[in-house]
Amino acid sequence: MRGTLVVLALCGITATAAAQDPGVAVRPFDQKHGGSSSVQLVAHVVTHPGAWKLSDIEIEQDPGRPYVYASGFTNFDAQIYDIQDPSHPKKIYDWTIENPELHRGIGAMDGKYFKIGKRYYYAQSYQFMQGSPDQDLGAVIFDVTGLPDTSKVKVVARISFPEAPGGFHNTFAYKHSDGRVLYIATVNEPYALVYDLGKVVSGADTSTWLVGKIPNPTPFKQLGSGGYHDFYVGYDPATHQDKFYGAGLGGYSVWDISDVANPKQMFTITGLGMDIAHTFTPSPDGHYAVTETEYQYTPLRVWDLTDGQNGTTQNLDLPISAWTADWRDLAHNHEVRWPYVFVSAYEDGFQVFDLKDPLNPHTDGYYYTCECQHEHGFGGTPDNGWESTVSVEQGAFGVDVRNYDGLIVLSDMRTGLWLFRLDGFKGWNGHDYGQANISSVQDYDHGPEGAPPHAGQ
Amino acid sequence: MTGLTLALVALVAGARLPADTGHGPGPYDIALFGTSKVPGVVAHARLVYAPSPFGIAVTADGRARYDVQITATGLPAPSTLGPYTTYVVWAATPDLTQWRRLGSMSNGETTVGHVDFNKFLIVITAEKTATPSARAGPTVLHGTSPSGWLQTFLTHPMFRGVY
Repeated sequence: MRGTLVVLALCGITATAAAQDPGVAVRPFDQKHGGSSSVQLVAHVVTHPGAWKLSDIEIEQDPGRPYVYASGFTNFDAQIYDIQDPSHPKKIYDWTIENPELHRGIGAMDGKYFKIGKRYYYAQSYQFMQGSPDQDLGAVIFDVTGLPDTSKVKVVARISFPEAPGGFHNTFAYKHSDGRVLYIATVNEPYALVYDLGKVVSGADTSTWLVGKIPNPTPFKQLGSGGYHDFYVGYDPATHQDKFYGAGLGGYSVWDISDVANPKQMFTITGLGMDIAHTFTPSPDGHYAVTETEYQYTPLRVWDLTDGQNGTTQNLDLPISAWTADWRDLAHNHEVRWPYVFVSAYEDGFQVFDLKDPLNPHTDGYYYTCECQHEHGFGGTPDNGWESTVSVEQGAFGVDVRNYDGLIVLSDMRTGLWLFRLDGFKGWNGHDYGQANISSVQDYDHGPEGAPPHAGQ
Repeated sequence: MTGLTLALVALVAGARLPADTGHGPGPYDIALFGTSKVPGVVAHARLVYAPSPFGIAVTADGRARYDVQITATGLPAPSTLGPYTTYVVWAATPDLTQWRRLGSMSNGETTVGHVDFNKFLIVITAEKTATPSARAGPTVLHGTSPSGWLQTFLTHPMFRGVY
């Protein structure tokens, strides 16, 4: 068995090595400025004065609502930018947790907008630490329908989970095929929480908000209590299933959550090198997926999910290819607009590659945004300013893509908000690539493409 | 005075100040964190039992009653922060819904009290008077009671770097 594992590992390395851009020399760290000719810088905003500025980023998708939401990370705030003129983003709203000077933690982490009926909302996730106020606070929900009139922005709900203090690190807003808008959140327990946002914003009894828990079959018990780190949810029009793709820190798992209260496990990805399994994003049809593991020197891996999706196997353990911006660093979050993968690549800033040939990922462009010293990333505690001398976790944290026109927004932990365009990328609709029009972007008015009409639609 | 009485006196006297273990912060110590208003200030606090004929002071429903010994260096004059005359120590419940003024403090060692919350924050603000009815001035220091750390965070992954 040991020999089998070695052979399998070597096969994986061979596949990985063959898939990287060949022959590209790595750039000296002190020369990581500017970008490729294919990426156009639209705007840059220094969002905060301190060493740490932003965590994640979210852009609204409706043409009439040009708003970007920036999570203020250790600054504890949520900012809204009006990008009616994308080259001149204008900060129009900045909300901070009450008594911020008394709080300790990594603060405002992830933001998601959503729509219920004719009203628009924004959910800002929070993480406060042991001994801090609001240590059980997961998210603050704003009604942002009235934008750009910020006097009409109101906090309408707060989601807390006292059973497992520490807040929500990552979240996902999903228009389920049953018509509900769901909010899925990580928590420091071995499951993901599923909230019915309709009940949350309507003022329903808080005991009715939580409508499901998705177990984590791939925990990484060396860290935390076995919870998920991140996830993606997408509808599969071929099988008429709502599928949850979870990164469980010890591996990945796919669940059928068509019945949210009774999730059914489909298959997992576990194997060598899957420690700190962080992000898991499939192609629109669920055929391929991109995953990230959160440790230095690891590439993004590309998987063929076919044998898991069709039930041939219960577990996948060999990727088909991999991609890295710089093997000395680490790429962070990504957004898939098949065949393009938009990456917030920490010290390597904004990167985009494509999977037109999934076995041979190809870099299409980049722009360095970090302007930072290598391996002086995030770590430690508030008492040392969260500074580390070993971490590469700094720079581009989050990325989002506006589907109707292809505008790209990126949040950099060190330098703030960035807007880009990629040459030739004028927007994304899955139909243009022979796929369903399914991505992280939700159709809140009509529900997932391919799903049968639900009651009340 | 009998030997038994002497032992009781010693016990009561000893109970006022929990033993110093000599191994760094102990279960009665509170690290105080400065805000951007007062860069360079160094401070910490220590919980001591409020005076009691029974050695360990508790409320009628059994909650411990503490005084708070605060040691600080580097605090600027309150007037440098605005129209303020003194620093005031507050205790607040973790949800910040209940506040109790404990007294005034300055550089050096100051003992204020009492506080009998189960878990609480110590907050020090600059104020216009020594006896404000509510916190109004800027926060300069804050910390959490040792009891406030008793949560399931010991292995929380998200606070070991950002992920």
